Amino acid sequence: MTSPVRATQPWAPQAWDATGARASADTDALFVEKFPAMRLISWIWHVRGSVPLMPGQSGDDAFDKLAPLFRETGTTHKRDGDTLTFDKKDQPAQDKMSVFDHGVLRIEKGATGSVLRYHLISRSLLFCFFLPLFFLAFAQMTIALGKHQKASAETTAAAGKAPNATHKPAAKAAPLQLNPIDKFLGAPAPEKPKDGEEMGRRGKKPSPTPAYVFASFFTILYVFGRIFEDWLIKRRFKRMLSGE
Amino acid sequence: MDGVRVGNRVVGTQSPVTIGWENIPKVEGGPVKRFIFTWFQPTVFFALLAFWYYAPNSIAKASTALGIGIGFKVLLLLLEWVNPRYESWRLTWKELVVDLFYVGLTYTMLRLVDSYIGSDVLIKAVQDHFHAEKFAWFTGLPLLVQAFLLSFIFDFGQYWMHRGMHNWYPLWLPHSVHHYITQLNINKGAVGNPVELFLIGLGIGGLFDFLPRAFLLAGSVGLAVGTYQHINVRFNSPKWWRFLFVTTEHHSLHHSQDFESTRSNYAGSYVFIDRMFGTCIDGEAELLGMEGGRRMTVREQMTYPFTEGWKTLKERFGRPSVAVPAE
Repeated sequence: MTSPVRATQPWAPQAWDATGARASADTDALFVEKFPAMRLISWIWHVRGSVPLMPGQSGDDAFDKLAPLFRETGTTHKRDGDTLTFDKKDQPAQDKMSVFDHGVLRIEKGATGSVLRYHLISRSLLFCFFLPLFFLAFAQMTIALGKHQKASAETTAAAGKAPNATHKPAAKAAPLQLNPIDKFLGAPAPEKPKDGEEMGRRGKKPSPTPAYVFASFFTILYVFGRIFEDWLIKRRFKRMLSGE
Repeated sequence: MDGVRVGNRVVGTQSPVTIGWENIPKVEGGPVKRFIFTWFQPTVFFALLAFWYYAPNSIAKASTALGIGIGFKVLLLLLEWVNPRYESWRLTWKELVVDLFYVGLTYTMLRLVDSYIGSDVLIKAVQDHFHAEKFAWFTGLPLLVQAFLLSFIFDFGQYWMHRGMHNWYPLWLPHSVHHYITQLNINKGAVGNPVELFLIGLGIGGLFDFLPRAFLLAGSVGLAVGTYQHINVRFNSPKWWRFLFVTTEHHSLHHSQDFESTRSNYAGSYVFIDRMFGTCIDGEAELLGMEGGRRMTVREQMTYPFTEGWKTLKERFGRPSVAVPAE
């Protein structure tokens, strides 16, 4: 019998829609033209740079050398003279340019020879940039909830109601004892639980500390990623252009 | 693809899988490397059990467990770097950011939600309603028995929840997101739709009383066994280990692009539960995920169960579209 899961899930590999190319980097350029102030903050998720071409290397040859980068699953690209625009959607983890979603590569002629200029856009960098703020906001929410809980508990106490008035009173906890086998093997005896203390996480006030820790992690990860991915793509372009 | 017959089913017809321990590659390298990657798992397992069994009360605390857990995961990340199972599963900056985002959600948002509607709260409500006492006699059992029962009860519940997720569409929807991961590494266990992560964490362990030290011992089973489900390290796990415990091999097969293979190896720590119910397949896979290995964005991971559910509801109950004849 076919299970409902099987009946409804498209498990078979599906072909990629290769017609979805769009010049988003051009759209982005228009956006920056419209709002010049965006240039001040666009470095957060935009990576720009240039790599000199080998002496005598043509634009066509340069793009041919970089072509494997744009043959990845989920990548569409368009070559138009000295300009190459690309888009990536649901790019595989091991795609060498998986961090970038759109971009423009242009061959420009300079005084000392041709240069590949690139402008790459990464939603992952933007996502990572906002994560510390997300976790800081979450920490503030946890603190606010803790205060609210405390205030509710105080109001209940002031009204003369025990928090668990509807419940039967808890039986006096029996002292915790080790099994004789554990005593024989030398395991430390359990401590008497403090008044009102329960095992596990139950009854503990939510703490903002984990959210602060993750906010710090993502700050470090963003700074590292912004530098590392910039360096990595430049090195990759250089190596591919020189035929390494 | 022909596939391989395992019992009364055929696996590997849609995507390549390796079946049988004799066909699974071994750790390559010198004798020291082979020795380390053969005995690492049992050594850590017994060392952690011994530590929590004998640690003085002053250090046998949840904060110590948290520190050990983080330190152990950093060590495993290093092992993934040194001895990866597959190059195609290599950790990248982007994968690390996404994985840690989900780990962060688990430690913050899910814990907060759990404190309001988690299994402990639900069990307490049921106990209060029925005026039921906990099973206090459990605390008199030997510590290791308590620890085993605690971890077994949790894993048994998780097995059925997980199996339910693969067989009942409303539960499959939130779980499907986790099956879109295309590679394994130690943080991938946290990647999934938050609804699923909440559901898979539900357990009935709170029905019973255990000594605090038994919780720590049970936690070390989860750490020293469950963590390996999603690791990208090649180990030569001993025979007895892979008979009792879930290994990366088992779990990679569960994440395979081959549909029939995903319907195996549901347990989180004790693979003998799968053996008991006939769902265990000893093998592994490299090509993981769904839809031919399409990688989902975080946005889609968050919305997929709801958008897919809505589509299904519309298909089933919506008004059929009327074809307009061409003029």
